Amino acid sequence: MWKNIYLWLDERIGFNDLYANLLDRPEPKTTWWNTLGSASLFLFVMQGLTGIFLTVYYTPSPDHAYDSINYIMEGVAFGWLIRGIHHWGATLMVILVFIHMLRVFYTASFKYPRELTWLIGIGLFLATLGMGFTGYLLPWNQKSYWATVVGTQIAGTVPFIGEFTLKVLRGGPELSALTLQRFFSAHIWIIPAVLAALIGVHLFLIIKHGESHFPTKED
Amino acid sequence: MNDETKKQIQERYERHLDKGERFWPDTIFKDLIMSLGIFVLLLLLATFIGVPAEPKADPSDTSYIPRPEWYFLFLFKFLALYGQLPLIGKIEWLATVLVPVIALGVLTLIPFIEKSPQRHYSKRGLSISIMTIMVIGIVLLTLMSEVPTVSEDGSTLLGTLQTIAGIFIPVIAYFLLFVFKSNNRLMVWTTSLVAVSMILISGTVLALAPEKKAEETEVATTLVDQIVAGQDLYSVHCVECHGDDGSVAIIAGVEGLEGEKITPINSRDVLYTITDSAMYEVIAYGRPNAGMIPFGKTYGGELSRSEIDYITIFMRYSWDDRFEAPEVPELFPPLAEGEVPSYDVHIQPIVKRYCISCHRAGKDNNNYLMTSYEEMLATGDNAANNIIAGDENSYVLQTIQEHPILDENGEEIISMMPPTNALKPNVVDVFIRWIMNGMPQTAEEAATLSVTPEATPAP
Ligand code: HEM
Repeated sequence: MWKNIYLWLDERIGFNDLYANLLDRPEPKTTWWNTLGSASLFLFVMQGLTGIFLTVYYTPSPDHAYDSINYIMEGVAFGWLIRGIHHWGATLMVILVFIHMLRVFYTASFKYPRELTWLIGIGLFLATLGMGFTGYLLPWNQKSYWATVVGTQIAGTVPFIGEFTLKVLRGGPELSALTLQRFFSAHIWIIPAVLAALIGVHLFLIIKHGESHFPTKED
Repeated sequence: MNDETKKQIQERYERHLDKGERFWPDTIFKDLIMSLGIFVLLLLLATFIGVPAEPKADPSDTSYIPRPEWYFLFLFKFLALYGQLPLIGKIEWLATVLVPVIALGVLTLIPFIEKSPQRHYSKRGLSISIMTIMVIGIVLLTLMSEVPTVSEDGSTLLGTLQTIAGIFIPVIAYFLLFVFKSNNRLMVWTTSLVAVSMILISGTVLALAPEKKAEETEVATTLVDQIVAGQDLYSVHCVECHGDDGSVAIIAGVEGLEGEKITPINSRDVLYTITDSAMYEVIAYGRPNAGMIPFGKTYGGELSRSEIDYITIFMRYSWDDRFEAPEVPELFPPLAEGEVPSYDVHIQPIVKRYCISCHRAGKDNNNYLMTSYEEMLATGDNAANNIIAGDENSYVLQTIQEHPILDENGEEIISMMPPTNALKPNVVDVFIRWIMNGMPQTAEEAATLSVTPEATPAP
């Protein structure tokens, strides 16, 4: 019976094509440095999964955010583990994406024909930092609150549009319930959507051009 | 780039592909191992380090030193150092906007700035050198981010060194690199020397940096801890007027409020009608017209947001019959026959709950403060008599046993303690044993003094 199901699916999906196009591709000799991109991807997926669990209990309001996080840590079975992974995953992801970018830079893998891959990569880098910045506020504790105060203040120093930017970020002149709501929405919908789309293009380009080879003397 | 070069690049790539591997299974295999390793690392970090508890956000607490997340610390430090520069230091947006935008812009546009098709590092000396110095600078600024630029004695040495390592040397280096850009050897030398000097100076800064004081913020995360923390805070700030069970209806023994009628705060009238957030406001703002001072930092009081929340939680779980209290551990472990109590384990929690509300700075207490071991033994107008090792007549022992201290004319100079409610006998017993045995501070000291009857070996 399994065989029949397989055949039925194969007829509609075409596993062989998938295999030939996605998996059975030639690559130049790769090193451990080439694993950093997929490791960033792995962390993105982990952040997504653990993040979804966290939203089950998290409440984005100044009155309840702190207590809901506390409840996740103390009251929910394995809540501490899920939050711990999400917390450390964020830190690791920033580090990994940064080192991945450095390796692409040092091996000059951003050169023809991979310039667009690099540009998309910059978008990914900024979006990753944006995830960190918006996520940090959500627990609504002293550390996160004041980090956001200084972070948004810096945006306020931009000549001409500074005040406007500050108000857009905070949803008003001061940090408030609106800021939290805004950051929450950016953190769980807007930026992840951007990230996912950019990662899609990034991967498409990588498959299209193949992984670059390690530069040798003749390059 | 002309089509000729493009074709060359493609052909060279084809040759590498021929000598290469298959994506499946070779490349994927490494990727999977790496991801698995990271997953294990995450589990370890989450389990053994976890996420430290922080107190709740308190917008009114302006004494809090704000800091961004760790990966923005280098920028923060850069801004602080930049702000100290003469003249341009005042033009804030140069550092907050212009420099980051230029750096990010160059990074973004690298494929179009570094246009040569050459990829080997020997042919990319300039960009590799700049990037290396940049990355070292970022790492060092991050490491130095906690070091102040002005020391406590007003010396700016640390700040100057940081500015040299974090701004001056790199800027000079970029300059030199452009001058040397056609000579690989000079660029390598410049980069190495610059890197070494930056690291050495930053190392010096870190070595000279004042020891960081561990900031102790006690955060209660479990319900039991919150109730206990709330009870301690309640004992310090509220007991005087509301009594330890919240039942006071007419205030007695408090200067200025003597005879004031209040609603008992353990009553349903209060607990059922005042929600948690309203309770927060009552405690934070006080009831100035009725004589209750503001306690929240927002209004000039002493309590943070979290602390007021703990008090509310304590009140709910102690008096509100809709809440079922969890098992709260005893204030101090009961004493066995012949056991000597210590300050750390027994006296401190008792004092915190029953005495500190008056025996702290700013209260009417004959200058007798009890917030630490040293204070308890050495402060007060009657410091010589308050606590005397092995002496039953120590004022502390007398007063807690309801014997006020009288002067030669028979006038009371110290009332019984605590002034309105006698301590329970087991608490009094702890004090007696402690003072009669010479006031040991730590549990170890107390253990050596204890004469426990023949320790029976555990079965
Ligand atoms: C969320 C962040 C990112 C993810 C998930 C990601 C994912 C990947 C993956 C899976 C690869 C192929 C394997 C490898 O070479 O490591 C790759 C390659 C690449 N990435 Fe990223 N990346 C991210 C961020 C970046 C950033 C920040 C940059 C640069 C600004 C960048 C530029 C590139 C380039 C140019 C390649 C091609 C490298 C080559 O062919 O050798 N990526 N990326």
